[in-house]
Amino acid sequence: MELTANAFGRNARKALLDKTLQEALGRTTGRFLAHRDAAAAAFPEFEATRERASRIKRDVLDHLDTYLARFIEEAEKRGTIVHVARDAGQAREIAARIARDEGVTLAVKSKSMAAEEVSLNEALEGAGVTVVESDLGEFIIQLAGEAPSHIIAPAVHKTREQVSRLFERHLGEPRTDSIPELVGMARRHLRAKFLSAGMGVSGGNFLVADTGSVVLVTNEGNGRMGTALPRVHLAVVGIEKVIPRMADLPTFLRLLPRSASGQTISSYVSIVTGTRRAGDPEGPERMHILLLDCGRSAILEGKYREILKCIRCAACLNTCPVYQSVGGHAYGWVYSGPIGAVLTPLLVGLPEAAALPDASTLCGACADVCPVKIPLPDFLLELRSDARDQGLKTPGEIAAMKGYAGVMKRAGLLEAIERIGGVLGQFFTKGKGIGGLPYPFSGWTERRDFPAPAAQPFRKLWKIRRGVTR
Amino acid sequence: MRAEGPIPVSLFFTCLADAFSPGVCSATVEVLERFGATVNVPLSQTCCGQPAFNSGNRKEARAMARKFLLSFPDDGYIVTPSGSCATMVKHGYPALFRDEPRTLARARAVGERIHELSGFLVDVLGVTDPKSDFSGKVTYHDSCHLRRGLGVAEQPRKLLRAIPGVEFVEMEESDRCCGFGGVFSIKYPQISCRMTERKVERILATGASYVTAGDLGCLLNIGGLMSRIGYPVKTIHLAEILAGKTAATSVAG
Ligand code: SF4
Repeated sequence: MELTANAFGRNARKALLDKTLQEALGRTTGRFLAHRDAAAAAFPEFEATRERASRIKRDVLDHLDTYLARFIEEAEKRGTIVHVARDAGQAREIAARIARDEGVTLAVKSKSMAAEEVSLNEALEGAGVTVVESDLGEFIIQLAGEAPSHIIAPAVHKTREQVSRLFERHLGEPRTDSIPELVGMARRHLRAKFLSAGMGVSGGNFLVADTGSVVLVTNEGNGRMGTALPRVHLAVVGIEKVIPRMADLPTFLRLLPRSASGQTISSYVSIVTGTRRAGDPEGPERMHILLLDCGRSAILEGKYREILKCIRCAACLNTCPVYQSVGGHAYGWVYSGPIGAVLTPLLVGLPEAAALPDASTLCGACADVCPVKIPLPDFLLELRSDARDQGLKTPGEIAAMKGYAGVMKRAGLLEAIERIGGVLGQFFTKGKGIGGLPYPFSGWTERRDFPAPAAQPFRKLWKIRRGVTR
Repeated sequence: MRAEGPIPVSLFFTCLADAFSPGVCSATVEVLERFGATVNVPLSQTCCGQPAFNSGNRKEARAMARKFLLSFPDDGYIVTPSGSCATMVKHGYPALFRDEPRTLARARAVGERIHELSGFLVDVLGVTDPKSDFSGKVTYHDSCHLRRGLGVAEQPRKLLRAIPGVEFVEMEESDRCCGFGGVFSIKYPQISCRMTERKVERILATGASYVTAGDLGCLLNIGGLMSRIGYPVKTIHLAEILAGKTAATSVAG
């Protein structure tokens, strides 16, 4: 996927002017969030479960090597072929090789952020495979030639009218504004693909170390059909998705749908453990798991390791007022919202995405809802500090900060400046707000007034009072 | 209620209030004195360093934080009319000095002693009636750092409800960020304004004549937008309501 993270400001301005997007964002994020809050409130063990999930994930990160080795061993025992990709290029090579070796020409794919991360579709298409997205939202945006804008609602930015027009153009379906009809059209079209595809490509929400299973949590039957019907199944999953035991799974299955959309449980949970055995009515003949490192080992070594606890529930997106204002595309890569603002710079390199950590008011709403307790605001602050250390701040900002600190180190100097400011402020504004400030504050005053400095700062007033009362 | 006798309080007046809304600082002193505090104002204090810290400029933030730590006496309470500045000292300083054990210890100790005004009144002094003669219909905005950083949400509401002349109305999404975010509002003014507009809509919907908060930054931001549009709602700092100021003109708007 093309990376435009550093154009966040430009992307965001465009998004703010996009009326359809604005309406969709208001509708969807608000609804998800309200449902999430209700679900958390109605589940007395929510806090305890959250605490447990966070602990399990921390343990996983502390012993990732061991758990991964166990996972690979158990998966291979059950006939699964496991591949590990160091980076995106290697992941694409492996995927293309699998497709060629398996003689696949059509693949049905269910939504996977990890696949998006390495541009898997391109790789498969390069190997002569037609890839059909089978998640309804993904299917829609694939027809539109766009990228997803939300972790769990990739086509949140599309109206039903736009969808109907896409279906008319690409599938030859009649126009309708009935959502059930639109869903029916997509289903009919996709059913045929499921039956004829040679390979099903999926992501994976969890990898279970003690059984070698891949767990898929979905709300449409596509995950199940894509893993059961085609001859070959390829799951593309980040290495951090491993959990120690099958017994840990319920903890996460309680948190994920509740945090994502407020559901107590999602419609489908598929646990895929190896290939079809003799006597099994269905299941893939061959199963491949492509484990992505792609920068994760490096994150694991550093101060941001807890970001790898993320279970991609999107609660932080839904609650983030910045995400709610600009949507996912503004973040310029696979991951958006607060998780994207932290994860993207870590995966693609801070210089490529330094704009993202600044795209937050640090209001803390994301940390409040994160089911695995990732300290997202602390990480945003830390990344801003790294940006300074790596020389990614503009000379203007550094000079301004130095000047500011220079003044603040001396109370007397500050008072003198306040006095001058007070006089000027009163003289030019007659005590009213300031309507226009020079760059870099000009954006601030475009639609807001800035207060004029007081004629006498408090420090002075206090000195007067003390002088009088003494 | 705490034991009898004078309550030693050092006022951390914040650089923003000092320069733009000295009335907020005076009101804070007035309220503290009303409930038995002897207020000391260390005049060597300047800024806690939050803008530098929040923009990733830790070297500068550290310099300011060091100065802050030296500006206040070794004991007694430190009270400030700002949730975000208190949060900076309480939670920001330990991050800043994590590699400097001695300063870290000092920072932790100071962090223990620092309180935001409404939290201090309710939790430490046990105030149930602020004895304010303020009157008007008031709505309250939860500033992010006060609510999430310090966990102060019920205290200001309790105080407001206890003022006979105040008709308190909750706004929807009272805990949603107003879009200020310090450097954020300068770096991304359009997004910031969109967030502020939503906040202002919620405020207008209450029909209140005043919007109050425990953070001046939010009020300057919200007030700045309302003043530009010419809305009739006034922004007023919680300290001023508690002090019983009726002419709410010290904050923009
Ligand atoms: S960071 Fe937390 S809230 Fe955000 S997607 Fe990941 S798990 Fe969910």
